[in-house]
Amino acid sequence: MSRRAGRGVGCAAVVLGALAVAGRPAGAQHVTIGPQAALVDYREVSSGLRYSGSGFGAIATARYRKLSAAASVVRLSLDPTKGSTASVGYKATEFDLWLGYDVASYASLEVGVIRRTADPEFEAQSLGAVRVGGRSTYDLGPGATIAFRADYLAAPKFSGGGSASFSLDLGLGLDLVVAGRLHGVVDYTFERVNRKTNPGGTGEIPTPIQQSLARVGLTIGF
Amino acid sequence: MLPRRAAVLALLVLLATLATGEARAQAIQNATLRRANQAYDNLDYRQALSLGRAALRERLTGAERARAYEVLGFSYAALDSILKAVDAFKQVVLIDPERQLDPNRVSPKAYSAFDVALRQVLLVRQLRVDSTSFVGGKGALPVRFTVTQPARVVTRAIGAGGGGGGGQANFLVDSGAWNGQVNLSWSARLPNGDPVPAGMYTLVVDARLGQNSFTASQPVRVTHGSVDTLPHLASLPGYQYLPETEIPAPSWRPLGLAFLYTGGALIGTVGLESGSLGAGSKRELGVVGGAALLTGFIMTLRKPAPRPAEGNILYNRLLKEQIARRNTDIAKENVTRRQQVQLSIVPLSKSGAPR
Repeated sequence: MSRRAGRGVGCAAVVLGALAVAGRPAGAQHVTIGPQAALVDYREVSSGLRYSGSGFGAIATARYRKLSAAASVVRLSLDPTKGSTASVGYKATEFDLWLGYDVASYASLEVGVIRRTADPEFEAQSLGAVRVGGRSTYDLGPGATIAFRADYLAAPKFSGGGSASFSLDLGLGLDLVVAGRLHGVVDYTFERVNRKTNPGGTGEIPTPIQQSLARVGLTIGF
Repeated sequence: MLPRRAAVLALLVLLATLATGEARAQAIQNATLRRANQAYDNLDYRQALSLGRAALRERLTGAERARAYEVLGFSYAALDSILKAVDAFKQVVLIDPERQLDPNRVSPKAYSAFDVALRQVLLVRQLRVDSTSFVGGKGALPVRFTVTQPARVVTRAIGAGGGGGGGQANFLVDSGAWNGQVNLSWSARLPNGDPVPAGMYTLVVDARLGQNSFTASQPVRVTHGSVDTLPHLASLPGYQYLPETEIPAPSWRPLGLAFLYTGGALIGTVGLESGSLGAGSKRELGVVGGAALLTGFIMTLRKPAPRPAEGNILYNRLLKEQIARRNTDIAKENVTRRQQVQLSIVPLSKSGAPR
């Protein structure tokens, strides 16, 4: 058996094992983990500099009483869209973390971080910020939960320098129990950063950043 | 029609009277007494008196002697010799203290003479004890009797032994001055409060008035048993557990919420879009929003999930607590009951068999 064939058998075994675990009855699932695919639209500085792309990643969530946590990592490949002034695409890695505390059955306060890096480094701005905001969650029905969140991105840092006095991050999420321990998770994040730069001390120039990111994944509860 | 019915009724009464007289005559062995009885039945009171007195000079059983005096009493009463009738009835009740006259069947003269006779003789009559069962220390045996004259009456329960002294057990039930109907109770306890030992006892009622005295007795049997314990409760009668979940009525709420949340995201996105960057792609929001709306629509069509019925949960909790409290009380009561003795007291006939 060739090395490639062996790798395929290993992947199949992993998938089968995951499905076997997912098929078990749902219990008190406090931890979920799974892969996700992503779609992204990214704009920077002006309407001419825009990219779109897709990628893959993973998401993990955990809950303990009133505390909840979610972390997501996606690797995105972005290409200039039609009419974009950009000539080449780039790859980006985005890491998101949310930590929530329930203040009501349908509302929670949350903090978190966002860290996005671009490769090549100066094809797009790398961003790091702290999230502070809130989330509203509601059960649509058995095993279906919808969430809306709004976070302020505090203390943003950019690879190209500059500052942002106003940065917001909106989100829409849906968690649906597909079967047993298997959840379907979709998440939308819209990010608007009012970045301003002051090249050469000649005055501040607005260089805003805007990104729409959709993540669709399957997770297994434990 | 009516006279005919009256004649039939009279015939039946006559037959009944004759049958009674015949039965009484058959119970009497003495011929003279039988003739006295016959004379009285024939309303020949003088002949009945003569024959009754003659019978008393002959050898008679106790019952026959009592009957002879009774014939004399009835005859004297019929002849208006009340004092002599009272004397005759005194002899009757001295021989048979339990003798009773039916006021519906004897003449008022005879009944009043009998009543006067009763009050002139010291007797303890109609000593009665009912079968009873009670937990030692928590009940008593009712004892009732009639004293025909005001007298000092001492009531005791005398056992065959085991009364604590090693000899014959002797428990004082009551001592007092009584007249007429008397109701007493015997707790069947030893002086230290323990129940009396099981066995045969005789309730003795001793009445004294000057030099006169009269004693009546009634044997009883005392048995010991264990006190029944109470079963634990699994439910309270009339109260049932209620379902702790309820299925809400179907509604458009899931779809409405999906619209609300998706609309919020859309409005937020449109509102935050930078004018200099242009309208962004709505592909991402379309994917997620579409999934949310579809899920909301499906959830609207689906049977709603059962939700906790808080009122029923509280009710069930209260019911469980109430049952637990009652079971705790029952457990305590059972501990006490296991240390108790169930006393059963049964009156016996004079021959010893239960009455």
